[in-house]
Amino acid sequence: MSTATARVPAPAGSRRAAAIPVVLAFFSGPVGLVTKIGLLSLSNGLAVWAAYVLVDHRNWVALAVLAAATGLIDYVYLARRRTPAAKFLVPATVFLIGFQVVPIIYTVEVAFTNYSTGHIASKADAIRQIERVTLEPPANGKSYTAAPARDAGGNLVLVLRDDQTGKDYVGTDERLTALAPGTVTTGALGIASAKGYRLLKGNELFSLDKTLNSFVVPTAGGAGIRMQGLSQAVELRPTLRYDSRRDAFVRTRDGTVFHDNGEGSFVSATGEELEPGWKTFVGTKNFGSIIHNSAIRKPFLQIFWWTFVFAVSVVFLSFAVGLFLAIVLNKKGMRFRRLYRSAILIPWAVPGFLSLLVWQGLLNDDFGVVNRVFLNHVGLNVPWLFDGDWAKVSVILVSFWLTVPYFFLVSLGALQSIPDELVEAARVDGGGPIQIFRRVTLPLLLVAVSPLLIASFAFNFNNFNNIYLLTSGCPCDSAGGIAGSTDILISYTYKLAIATGKGQDFALASAVSIIVFLIVASISAVSFSRTKALENLA
Amino acid sequence: MKITTWRAAALALLTAVLVAGVALSTASATVRKARAQTLVIWADNDRKAAVTQLAQQWGAARGVAVSVVVQDFGQIRDKLGTVAAADAPDVTLAAHDWTGQLAANGLVEPLFLKPAVAAQFPKYTRDAFSYGTAVKRLYGVPVAIENIGLVVNTKLAKVPTTWAQLEREALAFKKAHHTAFGIAVQQGTNGDAYHMYPFFSGLGGFVFGVNKAGNLDPSDIGVANAKFLKNAGLIDKWNKEGLINSKLDASTALNAFLKQQTPFWLTGPWNSDTLKKSGLSYRIVQLPKIVYPSVPFLGVQGLVVTKYASAHGVESLAQDFVTNFMASPTAQAALAAANGRFPANTVAGKSVKDATLAQFGKAGVGGVPMPNIPQMSSVWTDLGQAWVRSTKGAGAMPAKRSFTGAARSIAAKIG
Repeated sequence: MSTATARVPAPAGSRRAAAIPVVLAFFSGPVGLVTKIGLLSLSNGLAVWAAYVLVDHRNWVALAVLAAATGLIDYVYLARRRTPAAKFLVPATVFLIGFQVVPIIYTVEVAFTNYSTGHIASKADAIRQIERVTLEPPANGKSYTAAPARDAGGNLVLVLRDDQTGKDYVGTDERLTALAPGTVTTGALGIASAKGYRLLKGNELFSLDKTLNSFVVPTAGGAGIRMQGLSQAVELRPTLRYDSRRDAFVRTRDGTVFHDNGEGSFVSATGEELEPGWKTFVGTKNFGSIIHNSAIRKPFLQIFWWTFVFAVSVVFLSFAVGLFLAIVLNKKGMRFRRLYRSAILIPWAVPGFLSLLVWQGLLNDDFGVVNRVFLNHVGLNVPWLFDGDWAKVSVILVSFWLTVPYFFLVSLGALQSIPDELVEAARVDGGGPIQIFRRVTLPLLLVAVSPLLIASFAFNFNNFNNIYLLTSGCPCDSAGGIAGSTDILISYTYKLAIATGKGQDFALASAVSIIVFLIVASISAVSFSRTKALENLA
Repeated sequence: MKITTWRAAALALLTAVLVAGVALSTASATVRKARAQTLVIWADNDRKAAVTQLAQQWGAARGVAVSVVVQDFGQIRDKLGTVAAADAPDVTLAAHDWTGQLAANGLVEPLFLKPAVAAQFPKYTRDAFSYGTAVKRLYGVPVAIENIGLVVNTKLAKVPTTWAQLEREALAFKKAHHTAFGIAVQQGTNGDAYHMYPFFSGLGGFVFGVNKAGNLDPSDIGVANAKFLKNAGLIDKWNKEGLINSKLDASTALNAFLKQQTPFWLTGPWNSDTLKKSGLSYRIVQLPKIVYPSVPFLGVQGLVVTKYASAHGVESLAQDFVTNFMASPTAQAALAAANGRFPANTVAGKSVKDATLAQFGKAGVGGVPMPNIPQMSSVWTDLGQAWVRSTKGAGAMPAKRSFTGAARSIAAKIG
């Protein structure tokens, strides 16, 4: 009996073994060559296109990297020398760099900048924008119905009609001249025609856009008439002047000077700040504020502890129960075994975010099914989501419910890979079921499962979805503060990023993420080295 | 044999590379060129058809092409900061409370409305889209306004004119029907400051004060001002008698009203269709004055011109579309109707026949536009949480302590 079952996987194995040479042979011939050429030309074609874009952006460093990488890929696959290892390594490395290394480098880079609301543009853009947004209509400033046009000599002019007096003018970049009444007619979209001038329309307007934006008809007191759109013009006066020699803005009204404060803003001596600012490197300021700002630092340790408890409890609870279910349902000859197994997989079959939202409804203290249908009848009303400690229990329970099927499947697979002979032999040697489980099954199982336990721990350590969709890190019973009772480090980071200061402090969030990354990485590293010891033991 | 294969392969490869590269480059160049002559507009799914129709009408008059791209409305604010310049919109629909953040990031361009046009928009709608620490400028053309109101099931209760009457009716209904709350106000674990604001303002609370220059002052936080704290005891009373229950979330509140488990529900025009289809007889009013007028937050949606328009060479066109064409009463009426909101343009507002919309509009009289300065993002959670802590039934924290803590936390976060 036992030998028969042990032989079951054999045919599948031999079939697989036979399939590999067949596949290899298939791809070694002309089909393989064509496939290879197809894929390589696709990669090279993409590289040519990317080069085109990079040259356009004058990004020479990236262009060099691109050329080197493409050359390397072509060499590896076209060279006569057989380098199978490199052939497999190259795509893996490309994906590793693309999806792991680059995001990490980017996060580290952002952590040392001030990238946040008000600091996302370049300095040149910020200066230009400040100049634009601080234009102001002078007292009794005029507004006009207007249209860009060309005069008889082909020069750009503005045909203007004063909105208050109804008088017509023509404005050049030198002066404003009155027009005789009746020269200008108007229609639904503003000025319709002007005698002696040709109004611009259609595609001419596209090419003109930049010129039009800097076209100013000077008026008294440093003000000027500027087009606002295509059918109106307004008299505006700058309130700030950029002094490029001093790299500072000066307010024309009172002479206040706004200096570059080194942290991406122009700031006056009294602390008045001009918006927008720009993105710049600020050194370790973000890490400093994690340490020095008590609003951020105080909850950090407490949250770290809870994150650890949360991840460990979810992993161990689900593993224990998953393993138990796997052992029970691994029993041969059990009736409806498939049915039970399928039932256990249900939490996995439903999209996680949906079941989390459903659980949020089920657990509602006053209106949820759990309390109303079940617990209220025995005189209980558990504050599942609105009490700090109970919310922690709820978060663990729901995450456990979502994770059990995974460990059930994993354990079932691992159990079936343990040869029945070993268990049989232990039984012959007189071992009881518990002893066999402890001494034979579990150690063998752990060899296969412990890397998954570590991975699951790392996953739950950063399980943003479960926390955010179920409780949003709340309840926040501490009467203020950024963190709630069920916030884990990553949801806390998210709150720091979007709900402090002016919102969206990506730089601070990156700094915290780096710390979280270091914590998870070191815990995983230690655990993996322990696992190696386990493997040697087995 | 070997050599010929090798040569053929190399030749094929070379040709394929060149063809692929040239094809891709031409394709991207074509896209770029087409892009430069098109005004790209972002709109949500509800309003896509209306925006497309209006934009094409304008485009035909100006002789330019337009393209409308559908976006999830809630995502637009953040997408504007991260989108690649080539895919970025020149004009987009926006909510007024994004103005501060978008302007501080330099993502939107200042606009001008002709005096005669500006006069058609209530001052608060223009203020809602105005921002600037040094000079206050207008960044959006208002399109539609929205606010919440008290929806009363007129079969189950009389429309209350005073707070005392509302409280009495709600409690009587609660007692008679053994429900867990009196007035359905959606909250949930995370809280919802937007939906509790009428109570907050009715007790004397406000978010930010206004400084001498007429700007919202992020250092003047009114979440725990003296007037409000004097009245905060009322919240504890409501919690005790079960008039308010913050365990109600959005769907529970909606269902409770539809299943006639409560005659009173606080909601906004996004539920107009649900209300109309429900077959219930209802009326929408402003929450009766508690100690001060219980005004709701006002939301204004509008159109903004992005900074990308200038790089795309269509800034003048974008400004023309937004300030000249879309500000007109006809365009405003069409766009506001597209997602069931009241138009911001007062001339267009006169043509609204929908009784539900008109009642919601009246419920917003005297309301406060949601603060549009970026510091508001530090307020939402704390303010909502303060309310939840004090109105979660058993174990609730006294409102005075809860809101004082929230005010301290908000101040610390704004820094």
